[in-house]
Amino acid sequence: MDGQLLSNTFIELTDTMVADFDIIDFLHVLTSRSVELLNVSAAGLLLADPRGELRVVAASSEAVRLLELFQLQSDEGPCLDCFRSGQPVSAADLSADRRWPQFAAAAGQAGFSAVQALPMRLRDQVIGALNLFRGAAGDFDADSVRVGQALADVATISLLHERSMRRSDTLNEQLQAALNSRVVIEQAKGKLAERLGIDVNQAFTLLRDQARNRNQRLSDLARAFVDGTQAITDPASASPRARRPVSRRPRSGQT
Amino acid sequence: MTYIQRRVRVWGLVAEQASARGGRVSAADVCAAVVPGVQVTGAWLSAARDAQAGHLMQATDEVGRQLADVQLTLGEGPLFDVSAFSGPVLASDLADGESGARWPVFASAASAAGAAAVFAFPLVVGAIRAGVLGLYRDRPGPLSDFQLGDALVFADTATMLLLDAQDRPAGPAAYRAEIDQATGMLTEQLGVSIVDAFVRLRAYAYANDIQLADVARDIVARRLRLFPDPDLPLGDKT
Repeated sequence: MDGQLLSNTFIELTDTMVADFDIIDFLHVLTSRSVELLNVSAAGLLLADPRGELRVVAASSEAVRLLELFQLQSDEGPCLDCFRSGQPVSAADLSADRRWPQFAAAAGQAGFSAVQALPMRLRDQVIGALNLFRGAAGDFDADSVRVGQALADVATISLLHERSMRRSDTLNEQLQAALNSRVVIEQAKGKLAERLGIDVNQAFTLLRDQARNRNQRLSDLARAFVDGTQAITDPASASPRARRPVSRRPRSGQT
Repeated sequence: MTYIQRRVRVWGLVAEQASARGGRVSAADVCAAVVPGVQVTGAWLSAARDAQAGHLMQATDEVGRQLADVQLTLGEGPLFDVSAFSGPVLASDLADGESGARWPVFASAASAAGAAAVFAFPLVVGAIRAGVLGLYRDRPGPLSDFQLGDALVFADTATMLLLDAQDRPAGPAAYRAEIDQATGMLTEQLGVSIVDAFVRLRAYAYANDIQLADVARDIVARRLRLFPDPDLPLGDKT
């Protein structure tokens, strides 16, 4: 493992938490860094919703198929087992694993052979899991698992950071707000994708870049964009080649 | 308990309430059913289609009515916090220092009205705000994890009913990002607000007897476009 990259990552993450930060944006950065640091193909964070399911809050890539693969684990998969047991769960070769037939098939289709789930623990409670996927089969080495667990712990701390932890209810308040922020961002991705004729993955990147440029929280910009109180400009209008042409119905035809 | 089991159970309690009343299921039935459902003393429901904290729609008792009133009068309390924060506000003991610091006036006014604990749930779907479901207890104490899970599903049900969206307990199952993305896309396709896009998406799935998740997937994949319905008013287009 690259020691310099490791320390830089933890400095970056803790630096972010000092300022007024956006939890979804933060967790997105955390999953992206997990991919770089741990030499995995994809990473995702799932949180336990008290309604009774695991929900994806952030992933290293916003590809719809990947998000679905994480979400599938609300029914079966290493994340669900990890959440229930509070212990790390791994599968070095999914093609030979019998524990989660549906999940293993979907993971295989998406090009993943090995998976690791690490618990997000708070005192005696498990609040979610960090999920790592690798394209090639094989064990996750002890070093990666240790650093991966540290990243999962940072994710836990970040959820508690914004408000006081003296009240036991705070975590649930934070969790629900985070889940709703995630929904706002999905709505904004859809609106932006349709407006600019791009895919939802590109829309997320654009949304996040614009939030950074404006020094605004990602979920605040997403909400303002969906409400129609803030516009998002098309950077491709400056370089038209970057934009995929999509025929659009004239708006005047809609009344 | 899984999400689906919870939804079926909560919907059953709400439907029972409606049939005892002899009417169609409405958000007011959620307000009545949630009280025994999560073992609180009373509940109120405030509706809001815009970002403002809204007017009182329903209260199960006089204390609930007063709690809603006093917050609107003071401009302070969980009703406003949930609107700003988009997460629930769970104050299991209004007499503790934390609640006093959070709401200097409301905390004592609520105690005087007879409430010892207040739990407020925003009725939201992302950027869509339909209102607030408020619960209170005459004794302090937190909602258990089980009760919290149920209360959230009661709140989801009230949200759907307030938005007049087609919703069935066997309908949308686990969370799917595509449903939210498709809703966002429809605001552009139909030139309507996010609320109207939300309702149209569900109405389309219901009318065509297709799973909501499948309709959403087709919209996101651009295999399906919806067009403005000439028979329906076009929401808040200006």
